[in-house]
Amino acid sequence: MSVGKILGLDKVVTLFNIIRQNGGIRASLYKLYRQDELKDGVLVGEDKFGNKYYENPRYFYSRNRWVEYSDKFNMDYDGSQIPAEWFGWMHYKTDLPPHQDPSRPRYKWMTNYNENLTGTTAQYVPYSTTRPKVEAWLPPRKSSV
Amino acid sequence: MTKADYYCSVKLSRCRCCQSKFFNESIRMLRQPLTRALALKSPTRAAPLAARCQATQIQPQPDKVEVFIDDKPVYVLPGTTILQATAQAGVEIPRFCYHERLAVAGNCRMCLVEVEKSPKPAAACAMPVMKGMRVKTNSDLTRKAREGVMEFLLVNHPLDCPICDQGGECDLQDQSMAFGSDKSRFTDIHFSGKRAVEDKDVGPLIKTIMTRCIHCTRCIRFASEVAGVDDFGTTGRGTDMQVGTYVEKMFLSELSGNIIDLCPVGALTSKPYSFAARPWETRRIDSVDVLDPLGSNIVVTTRTNEVLRILPRTNEEINEEWLSDKSRFACDGLKRQRLVTPMLTDSRGNLTPVEWEDAIVAAARALRDCPPEKLLVVAGDMADAESLMALKDLANKLGSENVCTEQYFPLEGAGIDLRSSYLLNTKIANVEDADFVLLIGTNVRFEAPLLNARIRKAYVHKETDIALIGPQVDLTYDYLHVGESASIVKDLATGTSSHEVMKRLQQAKRPIVILGADQLKTPEGSALLAYTQELALKVQEKLADKEWKVLNVLQRTASQVAALDIGYKPGVGKLLQSGPKVVYLLGADNGVVSRDQLPKDAVVIYQGHHGDNGAAIADIVLPGAAYTEKRATYVNAEGRAQQTLVAVTPPGKAREDWKIIRALSEVVGERLPYDNLDEIRDRLSQVSPALVNYGNVQDNNYFAQARALAQSLQKPISGKMDVQLKQLEDYFMTDSISRASPTMAKCVQAVLKQKQSSY
Amino acid sequence: MSARQAIQVGTKTVKPVLSTTPGEAKRRVLNLYKAWYRQVPYLVKDFDIPKSEEQCRAKIKELFLKNKDVTDIRVIDLLVIKGQIELKESVNMWKQKGHIMSYFKPTEEPKPKDFLSKFFSSNE
Repeated sequence: MSVGKILGLDKVVTLFNIIRQNGGIRASLYKLYRQDELKDGVLVGEDKFGNKYYENPRYFYSRNRWVEYSDKFNMDYDGSQIPAEWFGWMHYKTDLPPHQDPSRPRYKWMTNYNENLTGTTAQYVPYSTTRPKVEAWLPPRKSSV
Repeated sequence: MTKADYYCSVKLSRCRCCQSKFFNESIRMLRQPLTRALALKSPTRAAPLAARCQATQIQPQPDKVEVFIDDKPVYVLPGTTILQATAQAGVEIPRFCYHERLAVAGNCRMCLVEVEKSPKPAAACAMPVMKGMRVKTNSDLTRKAREGVMEFLLVNHPLDCPICDQGGECDLQDQSMAFGSDKSRFTDIHFSGKRAVEDKDVGPLIKTIMTRCIHCTRCIRFASEVAGVDDFGTTGRGTDMQVGTYVEKMFLSELSGNIIDLCPVGALTSKPYSFAARPWETRRIDSVDVLDPLGSNIVVTTRTNEVLRILPRTNEEINEEWLSDKSRFACDGLKRQRLVTPMLTDSRGNLTPVEWEDAIVAAARALRDCPPEKLLVVAGDMADAESLMALKDLANKLGSENVCTEQYFPLEGAGIDLRSSYLLNTKIANVEDADFVLLIGTNVRFEAPLLNARIRKAYVHKETDIALIGPQVDLTYDYLHVGESASIVKDLATGTSSHEVMKRLQQAKRPIVILGADQLKTPEGSALLAYTQELALKVQEKLADKEWKVLNVLQRTASQVAALDIGYKPGVGKLLQSGPKVVYLLGADNGVVSRDQLPKDAVVIYQGHHGDNGAAIADIVLPGAAYTEKRATYVNAEGRAQQTLVAVTPPGKAREDWKIIRALSEVVGERLPYDNLDEIRDRLSQVSPALVNYGNVQDNNYFAQARALAQSLQKPISGKMDVQLKQLEDYFMTDSISRASPTMAKCVQAVLKQKQSSY
Repeated sequence: MSARQAIQVGTKTVKPVLSTTPGEAKRRVLNLYKAWYRQVPYLVKDFDIPKSEEQCRAKIKELFLKNKDVTDIRVIDLLVIKGQIELKESVNMWKQKGHIMSYFKPTEEPKPKDFLSKFFSSNE
């Protein structure tokens, strides 16, 4: 055990490494503000939304894989923005990220992934399918404006 | 009784059926009274007429004969059938084909009864009584006979009651419970199977499931006798017998819906009502129809605040038990194009929904800012007497006398001061006693279908002759077409014409003259009315029967008589030209008032139940209730006040019409002194007691005075008469309710399509 | 047996619920009233209602006086029993705050009386 380790100097070194990897003090502070944590890790891949997936086995299991959401989401990011193909890797169902996994199914009919729109204007609102008993008269529009 | 006997009776029935068809044909050709042709002087048919008889008509009563029904002595007129005699004794005999208002067919055999000393059971509906006849309606033989007939009927009837629309109101169902066997012996299903018949397409109103038909021929008899459209008939015999239209064609009649009621099974059911409800789920509310001027009595069937269908209610004085198709099937128009919320025009000129407070305040401001002579009130064709009264009171309180109806009526001469000049004085029921009918400028068939059915009844059963002045139209019976020119009426009235019609009128003991109110719209209207009055009175004076009224004016709308009784001015003509500032339309949808006739800054307030012509030009819309949604008074063309009852609640924020006017009056600051229905009806009775004398009709007099007043108006007339409704397709969509009805639109399409077909 | 029935039919007396004389009934009413009166401070405190003790006492008085014209002993007895049930439910906290407050009808809106307010307020 080295002196540095006893004095905790390696932690300082790690901190500087992390800051450097994240692009300097300014960028680090921004990341810390945006996602409340600052980690260093290997960029495993990037999905079609621009989310970046990192891995660092130095961290404890379940904290060692994480996502940095694309900048276009700004502060409005949430878990449902991770597409289905990365979901398995994020949740340790597989260790092979999608671009390295040849056995992933790719069919024509597979649609694009959509995030959960609850809380936005595009959210699904249940509606009645029963016809109204009385249909009201709609007055003709006199001016188009 | 052996099985062979049953077969015999059934075969007999089939033969009879063909015979009766033949009879019907021959009747039509020979134009003999049906009663006579079928040796049927039925007292029940004569009875209502006899009850109405005028004093002079009492004939010596033939001696009654004594018959024994279940050993109970009953005295009946000779010629009565067993079925009618048993009805007098209070015993009801099951029947399918027999119907009081149709000729006797005698082919269902359900009314078999045992007659003592008769080798076979007799069909009670067709067998006249004989002196001392002993009829057993509940003997073993009778019951066995009924059971046997029922069994044969059920052999050829599908067991689809669970999906049948007639279920719950089916004669066959009821009677098989009461008179049928407890179990089936039908085992032939694997050998020859059940009889099945192809369904016929007879138009958008009637759904046919012909496999269910039991060949009672009621629909055939109705079509040829009452509706006067000889489309139905039978083909084949025995098991192959089918009821149908020979070639596939629509049942082109304005009374077609009645065959749905007549059908004792589910063979003919209502297409718009199919699979909608069961009779035990529904509530039935007695009401009055407002789609034609006769005010037919109806039953509104509702469930969960929704009008499902409309059925006729028996009223011998008006509609018997029939109902015209528009009245019956236009009820789905009550669910479409409705005004459900008050509306105001916003800054862009679009009508936008608002609360009642805003709409009433806006309307009140418009009324208050309007100089009294610039206020115009126009009442439409379905306005009830209460709202008419309230609106007239309000207008009068505001200082305006400009209250008018859409329909014109000449004000010269007696005008609307004498009730006799704008009513159907003969009364609907008495029309069938008439022996000569002169129609002037009216197509009764479509303006008042049930009045036409009465005239046809007189024509078929009493050899009444009909003459028509006006455009030649199909009235379902033969008539003498005198011409189209209005001057013919003048010639007849002044005695310068020696036309055959004049002779017939003078010879007739009970002639009637029916003048279509539409003819009075023209500038010559007052003269035409004057001449018609002159003609009718000249004929009436010479009659032996002093009670008989000759002059009739057939109004076109359900509200007109009440409006005239209350004191509305007929027609908007002059008032519209004076440039009104505020126009209050009370359900006026016939396009009499249009935007381009009004000054630019005029405010149009529309109160009514449908978004139609009136609402389209309105600045303020006040949603009212339709006739099924309010308790309201309507006066029919005879002057008979009747009331509708609340069947469903008005949709959305709509309110009863007179209440809207009452609320408006308070905001305007001219509070009307009635808060509830009783109080406003008190007000109605102050204006005219006839308006609240429900169900009764008063005799009209003062014909001579009207004639005297009209004497000066007898100016030369030359115009040609024209009627609005000429063809069946014109009939279906005439008011805001029927214009909103998809069923009626389908009818028009179907009729037009049928017209293109070669059949 | 039959004699007893005959007497019963003859006298036609109704069976009393509790009290036999008006005085007794009155005593029961007063007892109930006093019991309610004593419970008022506890009710105000336990249910934490936004009413003072005076207001509660006034309400109790009002509710009792509502039936002041009842003279039938049997009816009085029944009303007393009902009052006791209410009291028991209140004291044992079987009721909730809303139940107590419903005596004061704080949310009840008066029904419109004149035509215009009826027209605007209801679907009439």
